[in-house]
Amino acid sequence: MIRTERKYIEILRILKDHQEPMGAKRLSELMAERGFILSDRAVQYYLSYLDAMGFTEKIGNQGRVLTPSGFQETDSALVDDRIGFIISKLERLAYRSTFDPKTSTGDVAYNLSIVPEESLDQVQKTFDEVVATGCGFFSSYRIVDHDPRIPHGSAGLITVCSISMDGVFQRNGIPVRMAFGGRLQISEGSPQRFVDLIGYRGTTIDPLELFISSGLTSISNFCRTKSGIALANVREVPSSALQNVKRTIQTMKKCGFAFPVTMGNQVFNLPPNPYRLSIVAFSGLNFIGNTVEQGIDIKTEIGAGNIPFSKVIEKN
Amino acid sequence: MTEPLKFVTHSIDDYAMQVTYNPATNEGNVVYNLSFVKNEDLEFVIGILKDAYKTGLAASGLVKFLGSGEKISDLVVPEGQTAVCTVCSVTLDGLLIRRGIPINPIGGGVVEIENRNPIRFIHMILYEYTTIDPLQVLNSQRLTSVTSVMRRGSGKILANIREFHMEAESLVGEVLDELSDSSFIGILEVGMPNVPLLGVPVSPQFIAVACVGGTNPLAAIKEGGCWVQTNAMKGLMDVSEMKEIRDY
Repeated sequence: MIRTERKYIEILRILKDHQEPMGAKRLSELMAERGFILSDRAVQYYLSYLDAMGFTEKIGNQGRVLTPSGFQETDSALVDDRIGFIISKLERLAYRSTFDPKTSTGDVAYNLSIVPEESLDQVQKTFDEVVATGCGFFSSYRIVDHDPRIPHGSAGLITVCSISMDGVFQRNGIPVRMAFGGRLQISEGSPQRFVDLIGYRGTTIDPLELFISSGLTSISNFCRTKSGIALANVREVPSSALQNVKRTIQTMKKCGFAFPVTMGNQVFNLPPNPYRLSIVAFSGLNFIGNTVEQGIDIKTEIGAGNIPFSKVIEKN
Repeated sequence: MTEPLKFVTHSIDDYAMQVTYNPATNEGNVVYNLSFVKNEDLEFVIGILKDAYKTGLAASGLVKFLGSGEKISDLVVPEGQTAVCTVCSVTLDGLLIRRGIPINPIGGGVVEIENRNPIRFIHMILYEYTTIDPLQVLNSQRLTSVTSVMRRGSGKILANIREFHMEAESLVGEVLDELSDSSFIGILEVGMPNVPLLGVPVSPQFIAVACVGGTNPLAAIKEGGCWVQTNAMKGLMDVSEMKEIRDY
């Protein structure tokens, strides 16, 4: 029974990842790629069930698309499965981040934010503040206007997602594990301690998104007075990777990435771990947090995809 | 060097061990949530607290109000605000632990309700992975529709879940029976051995119990457009200091 639910949710997830209608044959191929072996006929059977539930609809004979309620269902069903899904989505982006800091080429992962056109100037100001303070993971952002995901009357902003760093580490042979999202307290420019942490492996909603919408940040204070609460991630790597990590970070810094706040076996008030180095780095979500604090309407997809690095640094 | 971060699993154990509440005599300590509301909203707040109790969307009908300037734990109630103390569902974990029932607190989340029946958890934060109470951060994500559950019987509420070994089933049954005659009304659903409860899996040979979050009335107040600040699991309080909401 549960296995059945797992299958129909996977069909909804595939449809969610594709904008165009999709037929049963293609769906059965993509399902097989994900480990669910189903005949076309079986997929048809699931699809008619999903149609009846109002989660999918038929577009002529081109195939099925997701309905708004189907979209919502992918964010509601299988709570246990979705706890692992947050990190699994980020790991896919990390793996697809082919960026090489030595040559400044390859792809990085990005977050896509959508704001009303009329508030774009104001948003740019809040983004620039974060860049100036150096708490934005990457030292620039990009405005996009030609993208089907951006509705009419809105503007899109691309920020580099810090999961790109995990991709660079992995390509340098450093096994890295994204552990926590947290809110870091800073006094007079010097980071003091984590006020709260939420582990990426224990939630169905991105930890940093939770902190932003709960009003638990004071990024604009940090930008203006050097004291406040900003968002940071904690990653773990083997202690023996220290030299390699330092070298990798140095080359990334030259490309415009913010240097991590600190690293060590026991940093701030994090639980100590003798065999793992915790790397604390500011998150790209500080851009979004600062904008939300100004009361500006901003919708962000964390880890919206991968994009060539050259496109991010192009002048707007 | 500041104190090491404390994850919610540890806070729950620490608080639960201090619970002395006896449902039969209605005496002893309970764990409470502390929330602040604006004085001008107080009438609305009391109305919602009453409705939430009547519709079973609170952990208990017991509350305590404190006016501006009064002290509670390490805080002083600010000018223009009223503090509202409600019973936290961790009190149940305390009751079970005190009776010698080992429990694993699993996590807090959002539960979908249809025609007054809980359907499934649609969001979950595991206690082991967080230093902030899940219901405190989920409360502000526009994910709840507690008001709609109160009025129409369908919507989304805050809830939490824990599990115990099936060996202890009869003893847990006894505690739940005692509770049914007390002012603790927060039991949402009890599962079966080895069977996931509301979509949340259990350990082998364990049974899960889901509880209504004590901060649901506060979520409803927020949904009504009022300012609320909530601190879940703030401390322990003697029930004699609290009053039934229906007396207000």
